[in-house]
Amino acid sequence: MPRIRLLRTASFRLAAVYLALFTASALALGGFVYASVRHEILTDFDERIREEANALAGAFAESGRDRLAAVIEARGSSGAGFAYGLAGPDGERLAGTLRGPSGGAGAAGWIEATEAESDEAPEGKPEVVRSLVTRLSDGSLLVVGDERRRSDDILRGVLTAFGWAVAATLALGTLGGLWLSAQFLGRIDAMRQTARRLMDGDWSRRIPLTSADDDLSALARTFNRLFDRIEKLLLANKQVSADIAHDLRKPLAGVLRRLEAARDDPSSDAARVAITAAIADVEGVLETFGALLRIGQVEAGARRAAFRPLDLADVAREVVDAFAPAAEDEGKTLVARFEAPLPMSGDKELLVQMIANLIDNALRHTPAGVRIEVGGEPIPAGVQLSVGDDGPGVGPGEMAAIFRRFYRSGDTERTPGSGLGLALVAAIADLHSLECRASDNRPGLRVTLATAAEEA
Amino acid sequence: MKILVVEDDEGTAEFISTGLVARGHAPIVARDGREGYERATADRYDVVVLDRMLPELDGLGVVALMRKDGVSTPVLFLTNLSGVDDRVDGLEAGGDDYLVKPFAFEELMARLTALARRPTLGASQTLLEAGDLEMDLVARTVRRSGETIDLQPREFRLLECLMRSEGRLVTRKMLLEQVWEFHFDPKTNIVETHISRLRGKIDRGGPALIQTVRGAGYTFRAPNSAA
Repeated sequence: MPRIRLLRTASFRLAAVYLALFTASALALGGFVYASVRHEILTDFDERIREEANALAGAFAESGRDRLAAVIEARGSSGAGFAYGLAGPDGERLAGTLRGPSGGAGAAGWIEATEAESDEAPEGKPEVVRSLVTRLSDGSLLVVGDERRRSDDILRGVLTAFGWAVAATLALGTLGGLWLSAQFLGRIDAMRQTARRLMDGDWSRRIPLTSADDDLSALARTFNRLFDRIEKLLLANKQVSADIAHDLRKPLAGVLRRLEAARDDPSSDAARVAITAAIADVEGVLETFGALLRIGQVEAGARRAAFRPLDLADVAREVVDAFAPAAEDEGKTLVARFEAPLPMSGDKELLVQMIANLIDNALRHTPAGVRIEVGGEPIPAGVQLSVGDDGPGVGPGEMAAIFRRFYRSGDTERTPGSGLGLALVAAIADLHSLECRASDNRPGLRVTLATAAEEA
Repeated sequence: MKILVVEDDEGTAEFISTGLVARGHAPIVARDGREGYERATADRYDVVVLDRMLPELDGLGVVALMRKDGVSTPVLFLTNLSGVDDRVDGLEAGGDDYLVKPFAFEELMARLTALARRPTLGASQTLLEAGDLEMDLVARTVRRSGETIDLQPREFRLLECLMRSEGRLVTRKMLLEQVWEFHFDPKTNIVETHISRLRGKIDRGGPALIQTVRGAGYTFRAPNSAA
């Protein structure tokens, strides 16, 4: 029922209410104008009759009744627009066609008179004429009147025009409201359909954006960002399930193999070695679980409540201090280079771990002799921190992949670690609205964390 | 030591109490939060091992009630979760330390010993002495046989932690937490490298004061002191 839905849209209702208010005010204004015009026209009409009556009364005073009767006859037949009547004191008609107040001797003023012999209304329906009755000094009655047809026509014309205008307003307003609602509904429908597709599992879908830069577009953009977030979480979830299955199977299979071997001859030295190795394997598995849990907790974002203002440069210097001797023992140089404080709001403990993981990563994937530099500076959007080394680096195709869970560069058999260190870095960075980027340090790898520019 | 273990998981409770008995301690095991709270308030213990998730009354509730009743027995939380939040929540509720399951028994033991020996508030020392090594906590100076040793701030803090636990095991994890406030285990051996630098500075050819306990941590032991 698209028609009915159209009428039920919020925009149509708004348009309808607006239209009703507009029509009501137009009606009030129209009524006032009509009343004023009508009053003006009728006053003017009466004034004309009064002037004519006065003129005739003057003629009577000057020249007497017979003269007046002659004037009336002459004027009446000339068709000047007025109708006249002259009656004697006893009520007998002396001149003109208008019949005065019947038997109403003494009455003067405005009456609705009728024409005695009307040529224009042969149907016998005597035309009503608004008339002014004037009593002359000899007791005879002078009646001067005019048909109100003309002024009535004018007023009827005004009313008709006004009626059309209101009807046109209503029609245009309704059509306009329907059109606006259809536009609105089209965009709402687009949103609804997108949401439905998403629910059906097509998570790559987004609400199409129109060129209009209005609140509806802003809403659509917000929804699209929400969908981005959901898609990312879903993908991450899918990825984790697959990765856990893949990454934990191997060490667990190893544990099983070693323990089975040890069971055959529990007292041998080989068995002791196998058990020790099995314990190390299980510890590795537990460590992986711990790291996954931690990433999950960071991604859940519950820690934002614990954010405090801090200087990221201070935090980084502390971590570099802790790692520098170890780096030196490995024949590597680890330095912190910060020229300005990097104020931000964050969870110190998590930021410490983030920087520690970056340094850990740089130390583990580089040969002796490298220089690792931790630096940063304030940027317009906030802060920027980078950890760069001049080691072998990673291939351009791997730049984005290194932040994925369980991703290990090169020969995974020989590279220690769970492949979760940088994934945790990415999760902590994300919690702090920092964007993680890996780039070529020419030579080496450089990981940059920068406050993401605020999206509109 | 008299130790109260509040743990509903039979395997873990068994593991802890067997280990404690083997080291000559007297553990009492409570199976739920209610029982744990009643025992903790009815009797005096040196330290309480408290699981976070318990039937009847959870660990946070137990410690909160204990503290409300004025029982100041040190509490070590055990938990399956490894989140930052859990540790913060536990400490805020009145816990004194925190250990994530699964754990090595030595780690638990070292922490329990440290908690039980912790000096009561107010009785703050200003001078630590062990053999011919002297640490002035106010002037922040260290002397061996009267000769001043120049230490970095972290090295000073590291030595202080070890000296305060003289004769007892201090685990790597404890040092990471107390010296660097790292509540995670970095892949890089930052504790080992700092210890070796510290040894180089304080030993000076004399007898080694810091002993490595393989796979666990370090013990500070002055050769001619009673410990």
